[in-house]
Amino acid sequence: MATVTLPVEETKKSNEQEALITGAEAIAIACKLANVDVVTAYPIRPYDTVMQYISQLVADGEMDCEYIVAEGEHSQFEIVKHASVCGARVFCGSSGVGWMYAMEALTVTPALRVPLVCMVGNRALDDPGAFGVEHNDALAVRDLGWMLTWVDSAQEALDTALIAYRVAEDRRMFVPLAISCDGAFLTHSQALVKIPAAEQVKKFLPRYDRGDLLLHPDNVISVAPQVNEDWVMEIRRQNYAVTEIACDVIREVYAEFERTFGRKYGNPFFEEYMTEDAEVVLLGMGTLSTPVKVAIRKLRAEGKKVGFVRLRWFRPFAGPELAKCLERFKAVGVIDRDFSFGSPNLSGVMATEVRSAMYTGSSTRPPVIGFIGGLGGREVTVPDVEAMTDVVFQAAKGKAQPLTQWIGLRG
Amino acid sequence: MGQLFAVEVIYRGVFQKTLAKNITRGIVLAAHNEGKLGISFGRYGDSPERNGIPAKSFAIVAYDEQTLEAGMAQYEPKQVDLTVVLDDTLCKGAESWAWYGLQPAHRALKPGHTLLVVSLEDAPSLLKNIHRREEPYKLGILKGVTSFSGMWVYKDDHTDVRVLGAIAKAVPELFSLASVEKFILEKLKNSLKVTSAHTAFARFATVEVKAGEGNPEKLFSFGKPRWEDMRGGVSIKGQPQGGPYADPVSGKIGGFRPARNELFKKYSTRTMRPVVNFSTCTKCTLCWLNCPDASFDVTPDGTYDANLQACCGCGICEEVCPVKNCISMVNESEFHDNDSQWAKFREDKDSYLKWLETTIAKAEPIEERSHGFRYRGQYQEQVPEALEIAKKG
Amino acid sequence: MSTFVDEKPTQNLEAFKGVKKVPHEEYYTSGHRTCQGCESAQIMKLMAKAAGPRTVILGSTGCMYVANTSYYATPWGLPWMHTQLGSSGSSALGAAAAFRVQMRKGVMKDEPINVIAFCGDGGGADMGLGAISATMCHPDYNLLILMYDNESYANTDIQISGTSPYGVNTSFSTPGKIKRIMNHRWKKNVAPLMLVGHPTVKYVGTISTSYPLQAMNNVRKALSIGGPTFIHCLNPCPKGWDFDPVLSFELGELAVNTGIWPLYEVENGKLKLYGKTEQIASGRFKRLPVRDYLLKQGRFAHFIDDDIDYFQSKIDEMWNKWLVPGIIPLQKEIEAE
Repeated sequence: MATVTLPVEETKKSNEQEALITGAEAIAIACKLANVDVVTAYPIRPYDTVMQYISQLVADGEMDCEYIVAEGEHSQFEIVKHASVCGARVFCGSSGVGWMYAMEALTVTPALRVPLVCMVGNRALDDPGAFGVEHNDALAVRDLGWMLTWVDSAQEALDTALIAYRVAEDRRMFVPLAISCDGAFLTHSQALVKIPAAEQVKKFLPRYDRGDLLLHPDNVISVAPQVNEDWVMEIRRQNYAVTEIACDVIREVYAEFERTFGRKYGNPFFEEYMTEDAEVVLLGMGTLSTPVKVAIRKLRAEGKKVGFVRLRWFRPFAGPELAKCLERFKAVGVIDRDFSFGSPNLSGVMATEVRSAMYTGSSTRPPVIGFIGGLGGREVTVPDVEAMTDVVFQAAKGKAQPLTQWIGLRG
Repeated sequence: MGQLFAVEVIYRGVFQKTLAKNITRGIVLAAHNEGKLGISFGRYGDSPERNGIPAKSFAIVAYDEQTLEAGMAQYEPKQVDLTVVLDDTLCKGAESWAWYGLQPAHRALKPGHTLLVVSLEDAPSLLKNIHRREEPYKLGILKGVTSFSGMWVYKDDHTDVRVLGAIAKAVPELFSLASVEKFILEKLKNSLKVTSAHTAFARFATVEVKAGEGNPEKLFSFGKPRWEDMRGGVSIKGQPQGGPYADPVSGKIGGFRPARNELFKKYSTRTMRPVVNFSTCTKCTLCWLNCPDASFDVTPDGTYDANLQACCGCGICEEVCPVKNCISMVNESEFHDNDSQWAKFREDKDSYLKWLETTIAKAEPIEERSHGFRYRGQYQEQVPEALEIAKKG
Repeated sequence: MSTFVDEKPTQNLEAFKGVKKVPHEEYYTSGHRTCQGCESAQIMKLMAKAAGPRTVILGSTGCMYVANTSYYATPWGLPWMHTQLGSSGSSALGAAAAFRVQMRKGVMKDEPINVIAFCGDGGGADMGLGAISATMCHPDYNLLILMYDNESYANTDIQISGTSPYGVNTSFSTPGKIKRIMNHRWKKNVAPLMLVGHPTVKYVGTISTSYPLQAMNNVRKALSIGGPTFIHCLNPCPKGWDFDPVLSFELGELAVNTGIWPLYEVENGKLKLYGKTEQIASGRFKRLPVRDYLLKQGRFAHFIDDDIDYFQSKIDEMWNKWLVPGIIPLQKEIEAE
């Protein structure tokens, strides 16, 4: 599904090329522009086309990196984890249960301060087997110190990949970052993308410098000695310090991106669509933004004042900022393309986090209705969005609504 | 809140783990015979234990649940009514698996209470090693050979019930000898062990140790850094390289002394130490080469000096040394410092060699060694029940 | 050098010509919380000494992590990084790849850096076997994977692994009232697995801490020969095997002298036995009965004669019936139809 409008301004920068590419290819090109050093691949759909593109780039001499095909996702991520500690800029990726197979490696990269940038082609956790979109794979690391962002266009994918390296490799950060791309919609459909010039990217991305954390014979250190209860709190506290400044770093980098490439994203953490005079808003991540925006334009034409907030960064979660944004609406509908069985109110992950942000961050408490839909790639249709909007308007009027509702479900 | 009892057992990791557990369990079950409630536990941080590295086991006993809970609200009791030391070389202090820095044997002992040591030595001897403290306490010796077993085969020499008998004498409010007897008969089903407990009770006596009496050594300890001052990425600096050092007599620089990890000195693991005859050494390198702990300093003479800050007393050097009586493992508790033997040899060769001769003569041959295994790995004396089962297959 | 793979130079580490020529520098020094008599620590010391200062070590979880670096301390005088239990293969590859590309791009001094990843038998023969196997297939990267085998998951307080001997007592294979023998598995033949399964590997060998000079020289050979290499060391473990630590060296010798632990190396496809193993194979040394070895260890204290006889028969088979004695377990004679 091609995106209709690009959330960016036209650029006047020279030397930019335009190409018709998928989100996966866009990220592959970003890796090339970023002069990535080590890439590890392992096949699982739908992320792995990025690795197919990179393979071709390497074979054609357009990209100089070590390209290693691992024998499983655990090794895949372990290889780049260690390559990063040895000074290499790395790229990796996975989807669904492949990502879960790598979980041990994923768990330790934040504490080890490894700026591992990777792509997650969001996919249902199977069994039940399906290749379609579900966000639970990437979300599984949300407590561990990873940065998580969702993109909804190939352009955004490319730009965010470049931003990701700058953010992750900032010495104040040095934590892993996953760019989530909805499988199929983003990874396999081709859109028009502006590709920045290599010289511009070189200005934007200095070489990764691990400093005194580098593992090398000239720097005799021991990385990750065994510890006990006397040390873990302090080590975790260091990762906490990263989260305290992460939003500031992200803002700095987006500003620098705009200066370098001329493309403006505005608020890095979330995009607001037709929210200025909205009475109610929907909130979601990823490519469901397209049917949502189309539906909103239709509803607006019918006089319904509804808007959409598309979350870009899930971690760090810009809670206070989001709460300030949402508190002015009469009701909020959160569309979770994920599940969180047994959670408070049985809602999905996002609805639960939004409510949490609202509880502390806003003086008003508009009802927040959680919608679960789109799992396993089920289409979120324009009629679905219209139906959700109806529900949210009912809530806005004070009519009690179930706090979690399943949309697009047979039964 | 009623009275809370706590007993700490300090022991040699792995070699005495079953013994220590038997003792702390016995304490709880004996006390339970008088209606008290209790918990027996080791420190999770001591797990997994390592051969010889000190570890601790505890028993907490109370009259009621709430008091017991109060006792359990800490990882380990800060104050105990009695400390049992199952190997007398532990009187030199323990740097256990779970902790850093050397801790005196009586660290948690309440003033005026008893330090119970299993030993063949006498009190004045032990007090050369036990660190001095500001409060007085009692020292009681349970006469006996150090009881060592292995990971899988437990050799029961009744030390467990003898310790219980002695505790009944030292802390009668905790449990009586009758309660110990009841525990042995009901749970262990072994009347011979009852006799052992009785004998230990009858013979157990303590001496008063005055404030300030004992080993004057200052114990090393470490501070821990704040999180802001810790290096990032869970990293720490590695070890530097060692180098040559000076002959204490001639001042000549030579040999090689490795740099060593300053944060863990393994010497409190020793029950025996190697003594070296530098005049018969053929400089074959085998002791130095085969020491897993890199304990040997290569002296400027080209001989090998077991560095007693680093040596953990495993005895491999004695085994691989091709020269008879060149390296001999001897009882650690007779020594009161970790000074360099080679330095002593250099300073007064004749007196050192004389001392060496008498020291080696006193040492037990490995087959009868009291610190270390009773048998050289021969497990002929399996407990009868196990042998029966083994025969059935 | 072949043009069909992309090899880079290695360090040229010549053999130490005798124990007196072994350098004094320690790159794995005193102050680790291992058991008295720990032969796994000994091979760390020898390996580090053999490799020298231009080396990076990746250490997977096990005794040689927990009992080495507790707590927030280290005995390593080389750059060392912990890696996950099953990651010796992947960590070595990651380090080798990172150095290679940065040198190629001119952002790191171009020099051969030894990359060594070590694993215990748990991490190597069990969990990490797949990753090691994958790494063995990458001819472009120079690295060594060294497996220290104490025949158990020792760090978690002794449980059976794929290399534990038949019938052994561990906390997951406890002899009991009904079952005396809980572990029926025979020891996995790891070095031959690496050898036969990865035809382009230039060096695979077994070593013993009871042959320290040879162990160090084999490590040096593996680091010099190029490509991924694998060494399997048997490490007597006084805690898990239950013997007086003073016997650690002797038990290493007995393992070889009974034929239980064959010593060999395969360099570019050529097999060479060494030490007592060579004498056993050539008939100059009669294998000692396995009883001499088994009964010195408390972990076999529950063995009755039948068990010992069975064990002996398997070792006899290994030497009398295997295609390559001690190494390749194919039956020598092909039965006629």
